[in-house]
Amino acid sequence: MSNSNLTVNQNIHGATLSRRGFFQTGGALITGIGLLRGANSTNSLNAALPESWVEIHADNTVLIRTGKCDFGQSSIYTAYRQIVADELDVTMDAITTVVAGDTDTTPDGSGTFDLLGRGVINLRKAAAYTRQALLEIAAGRLGVAKDNLSVKAGVVSGGGKSITYGELVKDQNFKLTIPVTGDLTTMFGLVVSGNPPMKPVSEYKYVGKSFKNSIIPAKVTAKETWVTDVKVPGMLHARMIHPATLGSKLISAGVVDKKRFPNSQVIVKGNLVGVVAPTEWEAIQASRQVATATKWTEWKGLPGNGNLFRFLRQDADWKSAPVSRSGKSKGDTVAALKVAPKQHTATYEMPYMKHAPLGPTMAVGDVKSDGTVVVHTHNQNPQALRGQIALMLGISTDKVIVKTYSGPGHYGRSNGGNAGAEDEAVLLSKELGRPVRVQWMRAEDFQWSTQSSAAYSDVKIGLDASGKISSYEIDHHMPAMQDDRPIGAVLAGLPTMEAPSEKGQRLANITNGNSDAWVYDGVLNLEERAHGTYQVGQRQSPIAVGLRDHSMRTPGQFQQNFPREVAISEAAALAGADPLQFRLDHAKEPRVIALLQRLRAESGWESRPSPQPKAATTGAAALKGQGASVMFRSGSYWACACQIAVSPSTGAVKVEKVTMVVDPGIVVNPLQLKRQVEGGIIMGISHALYEELTFDESGITTKDWLSYPVLKMSETPEIKVVMLHNPEVGNYGQGSEAANALCAPAIAAALFDATGKPARSLPFKPAKVKELLKA
Amino acid sequence: MLTLTVNGRKRDVQAPADTPLLYVLRNDLDITSPQFGCGLAQCGACSILLDGKEVRACITPASAAVGKEVTTLEGLPDRWAKQQKLSPEQAAKTLHPVQQAWIEEQTPLCGFCQSGMMIKATELLEKTPHPSDPEIKAAFTTSGPSAHICRCGSYYAIVEAVRLAGTIMAKGGAK
Ligand code: FES
Ligand code: FES
Repeated sequence: MSNSNLTVNQNIHGATLSRRGFFQTGGALITGIGLLRGANSTNSLNAALPESWVEIHADNTVLIRTGKCDFGQSSIYTAYRQIVADELDVTMDAITTVVAGDTDTTPDGSGTFDLLGRGVINLRKAAAYTRQALLEIAAGRLGVAKDNLSVKAGVVSGGGKSITYGELVKDQNFKLTIPVTGDLTTMFGLVVSGNPPMKPVSEYKYVGKSFKNSIIPAKVTAKETWVTDVKVPGMLHARMIHPATLGSKLISAGVVDKKRFPNSQVIVKGNLVGVVAPTEWEAIQASRQVATATKWTEWKGLPGNGNLFRFLRQDADWKSAPVSRSGKSKGDTVAALKVAPKQHTATYEMPYMKHAPLGPTMAVGDVKSDGTVVVHTHNQNPQALRGQIALMLGISTDKVIVKTYSGPGHYGRSNGGNAGAEDEAVLLSKELGRPVRVQWMRAEDFQWSTQSSAAYSDVKIGLDASGKISSYEIDHHMPAMQDDRPIGAVLAGLPTMEAPSEKGQRLANITNGNSDAWVYDGVLNLEERAHGTYQVGQRQSPIAVGLRDHSMRTPGQFQQNFPREVAISEAAALAGADPLQFRLDHAKEPRVIALLQRLRAESGWESRPSPQPKAATTGAAALKGQGASVMFRSGSYWACACQIAVSPSTGAVKVEKVTMVVDPGIVVNPLQLKRQVEGGIIMGISHALYEELTFDESGITTKDWLSYPVLKMSETPEIKVVMLHNPEVGNYGQGSEAANALCAPAIAAALFDATGKPARSLPFKPAKVKELLKA
Repeated sequence: MLTLTVNGRKRDVQAPADTPLLYVLRNDLDITSPQFGCGLAQCGACSILLDGKEVRACITPASAAVGKEVTTLEGLPDRWAKQQKLSPEQAAKTLHPVQQAWIEEQTPLCGFCQSGMMIKATELLEKTPHPSDPEIKAAFTTSGPSAHICRCGSYYAIVEAVRLAGTIMAKGGAK
């Protein structure tokens, strides 16, 4: 049982392997972090709880932990297991447990975004360190030099002997401490440092194959515990009464009609008003009654959505934040444009859109008598939420635990640490000394959550005599995109992280960046500029609210790629060129060229200039058109072709077929990537055809699925997903992100192809399309 | 007090008769598959079967379910077992074909809408064993109080899963 060859502390590529006595039964190797406790946030109220990433157990099972959660991406239950299985040389089935999200049982923090980029690298490195440690232990046990050992399916062999990982850790208590940097409870969490040897892509066994998502059976058989199912003993139900406008202050809160609602009570804290009751139905009814009797100050300070773009262009302050120039900008666009025989000048507009999770935000807050706080929620960044709750209450982060559960997808809305209801649930619980469940109603989730920023871009393109782009200039304008202040804390007047401003740190800065990587390397003169400003109404609102924005799928890049790609399609028309060939003619990167050629081959593309020869704006027959778009995001190249039909009499646009070609580098899991891309496409068509937040001078008027229509199943087109496996690139490509953003520019180009009318302002609702056809 | 029949069991409920069935199921009876999505009969997240017909639990008062058979996602395996007259041993290890197909096709993304989607699929397939793609799309779009919304965009996967479920059902439940 004892292992005399093993020193107590051993250096494993910069990590420290130690053995701490023996276990009576079981045994494990636990890979985690050290040294942070005290110096920084720990992940637990209970020092005995694990801060590990990877655990190797005596029964040959493996447990992995990640601070990320699943919001429908599947990655943490599929790709993460595949990547760890390969890095550790164990089978997929050996990884029996994935612990996710909860701040007291996962080590690293950061958000559920960039899951296969920055998101997985910690776990992958942790697995790589673990493999080295296991080899070291095996070398001692087998008496064979580490270099002469090999591993297959969790069995270490060499010198004619072999031993399983399980046997290596049996009855032992190994801890491998790996180096990390970063700050646990901020947006980006901890980062594993050092460079343990990692497996070459060519030796992958599991990465690249299709595996089913291990959480799906529980969801399909009603066995999963959803956040909505959480019940804590003594829990009360609450509904909030949010201010009458985005700038209203409370004059007086209504009083509960005790005859009708004997068990309800109103809680007021600053401008935060909630109604609690023992049952959900009473809380709903009582809150409606109290709401009608609650008085707020009037406020008007928004332009109204009809005036949005006039406001942004003429009245918004674009001077406070510096203009960002993209790294690829080069040459002299002004001089080149002057001599260009053909020029294309246009403005493109994107409205505010909602993340619109299918379930409105809800959370259970539980402030205990000793001052510790437990939040039960569904959140893309539990550790960051923990930091926000601690800040709000003025307590140490060590006193806060965030538990996460399955819930509706948020598409980025909660990646900075709150989805809406969490802080309110905590504040009500603190007042009452009992756990409180806050559930927002549908209208509140549209009206009091953040939205994806509106944006507009001005484009100038010059074509030379041969019809190639000699000059490309774009000026992107977008209000600050990331406001992570918890709304309950704002309303209650309690401390929050800073509101976006020109002085804000990192994501709280209103400076706009260039997010849409340029892919047309053949263009010699290029100027990409991004202009930022405050959120609309933010500085006018007496309660500093206004239209709060938040990153949404393909954030920032969606707003910038739409104008670029539609403009490129229109420039192709000006050049009399086929829009796909035109793109090819300006590309140099071999991955882009391969991508576009594949798109042409797979999509039924007709090679010809736009508009199509039969383009028209009237007539009984549906008008057909095709359009394309390209994007580079997170190491992946994407190209999309859409074929559409427009009805001139109704203005209705039907997307008939979408072909999406993606070169993600390494295709980790073809089955899951396909489903992710399909989902992104459906959402992307929805963005293009329907989605637009409406608001008046006081607040958001969008309130339900009728005022915020999204794509319906009957509108699902034929979808073709083509994956280009390109392993030598070494990048694990992402899934649903990007796919959503490519649809709108391709549909706009197809509308132009079908009708000859440029379509530059989203969304393409029937009334707008009819106007376009008349123009 | 109300007495409801939910997934084949009689259950007594103390909640006021006007309480929406959704809250009675979720909070009083711990039947949590129907989700709160809108409370307005606009999304389908709360769908259940009432005597085999899809209804929206969020706007259906609990009293309206008295004397009727309520079936939720939890009850689909039993419903199938009864229809197929499976032995208790067989029944214990058999999922409803719709559930089998949903797993096989990896249909859910976040999954929040999918209980309602599987309820709709069951209603459809019980009436129309081999629906065409347009029939499937119409069922989820125009046949109920509102279209069934999936914000994650799983529509394509749902159509494939309904097709597969129909095939599994035709074979009597074996994949
Ligand atoms: S929750 Fe009942 S239809 Fe939306
Ligand atoms: S799978 Fe997320 S809403 Fe349908």
